[in-house]
Parts: sequence; C-alpha cells; structure tokens
Amino acid sequence: MNGKQLLETLELKTVCGSVESFDGVYAGDLLSRAMSHVEADNLWITIMNNMNVIAVASLTEAAAVLLAEGVELVPEALEAAKEKDICVLSSDKTVYELCAGIAAMLN
Amino acid sequence: MDEFSLYVLDITMNSVRAGADEITVSLAEDGDWLTFTVTDNGCGMSKEQVEKLSNPFFTTRKTRKVGLGVPFLTMLAEMTGGGVKITSVPEKNEDGSVNPCHGTTIQGTFGRNHLDFIPLGDMVETVKTLIQGSPEINFTYIHTFPGGHVELKCAELRAMLCEEISLAEPEILMWIGGYLEEQYAGTEEA
Repeated sequence: MNGKQLLETLELKTVCGSVESFDGVYAGDLLSRAMSHVEADNLWITIMNNMNVIAVASLTEAAAVLLAEGVELVPEALEAAKEKDICVLSSDKTVYELCAGIAAMLN
Repeated sequence: MDEFSLYVLDITMNSVRAGADEITVSLAEDGDWLTFTVTDNGCGMSKEQVEKLSNPFFTTRKTRKVGLGVPFLTMLAEMTGGGVKITSVPEKNEDGSVNPCHGTTIQGTFGRNHLDFIPLGDMVETVKTLIQGSPEINFTYIHTFPGGHVELKCAELRAMLCEEISLAEPEILMWIGGYLEEQYAGTEEA
C-alpha cells in the first residue's frame, strides 16, 4: 500500500522519516512478540514508545512504526529513530480504529 | 516473552557466552517483590560496556546489530516498579592488568503483584535447558518464596557422579527435573 495514501486517508502525523509504501500490518505491544511477528516492510502499530521499539523496528526492517492513541516517543527513542532512519508516524486513533481504517482501504 | 522463565534463560545465556564456569541463578520472592539475580565468573565487562547495556543498539553479537536481552529485562522491571542493577569486573583491564576475581552480577527487582507482571513460567524446564546446553558449567539454582525453598547445585551433583558422566545425559537431566519438581511439590503441600 502507498504510504502517502495511508497518511492522508487516516490523517496520520509524521514524527520522523518517511514511508513510501508498506506491505502488510502487524499490531501489538509485547515487543518480544513483535520481534518475531513483524515482517520486513510491514507497518507496525503499537502504543509502546521507548527506545526498544526503535530497536525492534530496526531489527525487523519494518517500513514504519505507527504510534496509536496519541502516544509520543520518549526523547532518546526519537533521537535513535532519526539516527537509524526509522520512519515513525502517529495518530490519536486507537489501534483498533487504525486497523479497521487500513482494512477498509484495502477493500 | 510472556513468561518470566524466558527472561531467566535469556539473561543467563549472557553468562554462558561470557565463558563462565560458575553461574548462580537466584529467584527470591518476598512480599510484593521478586528479586532475580545472576552471578557469574565470566570475562566481565568494562564500566563503559556496562553503561551501554541498557542501549538496545549495543551488543557483543556479531550476527546482528541489536541486543535486546538487558533492555527487555529493564523494561519489565521498570514497568512493574522495580529496576535492574549490573556490576561487573573485567578479566583484563584496559592497561592489560588482570583481575583474578572477574565476573558479572545482574540483579533485577520486579513488582510480582503488579498488573503488568507476567507468570513465572516453567523454571524446572528452564534449569534443565541451561544444564543440557552447557553441562560443563556449574550452575547453582536457588528459588526462595514464602513458605518454600528450592535448590540445585551442579557442583554437588557432579561430586556424586563419576567424572565421565555428562550432566546432559538424558537420565541425569530427567533426575534433575524430578529432583526440582519434588522440591516444588513438597513446598506446595506445606
């Protein structure tokens, strides 16, 4: 799916980086589980906001991290995201609303 | 990792990789707190390395650039109101001098009644996995909790066996599993 289309349709904010496109979505907050379930080029939706999120995104080669429920990255995590060139998006919507929105776009 | 025993396995493997031959794994449950401690006589770390441990982008592994063992442990500890403390003495100082008493101690405290804490998981299986993977290491496992105490010392076990027998032999591992389970069952009845 096209990144620009996603940003516009779901009214997402870009925290850092950019996402041209993504392929598949994973939603979940248990980082150890995300580590084994986020696939390369996935969009990963979570409410976790610490440095470890950036590490997991980097490790799994996620296309972008989408922070739900208005969560903001802690400063060190934001710094790491910029340094490691990880795209981070955010939204005030819940994880469910974001997933449902993406599903609607796909249909 | 939705069971604490997986964290125990993950953190203890750091001591195995540090070349330790004596590793003590202890779990102490008391009141609202669980204190988890791993002490080893491995190669240790410099002050700078210890400071970098909480940063997931620091790892001694060469196969990938991210190390999440200690960051995940720290996250769980802090989420439940506790924290993680690491002290280490490197085998060799930067000036090349040698510390005879080298090794690392990592200690985490966890709010065991906190909403975000996770089930302990299968500690017997975890201890067996560690011994099976590194039968030459003298593991000591101590788990204390209100009304109970479970303990296994590989060194004592080894002294009772012939030297040629590996602790990874299926019969020995089965005996170890039974020995631990018996202790846990005994304390449950009490």
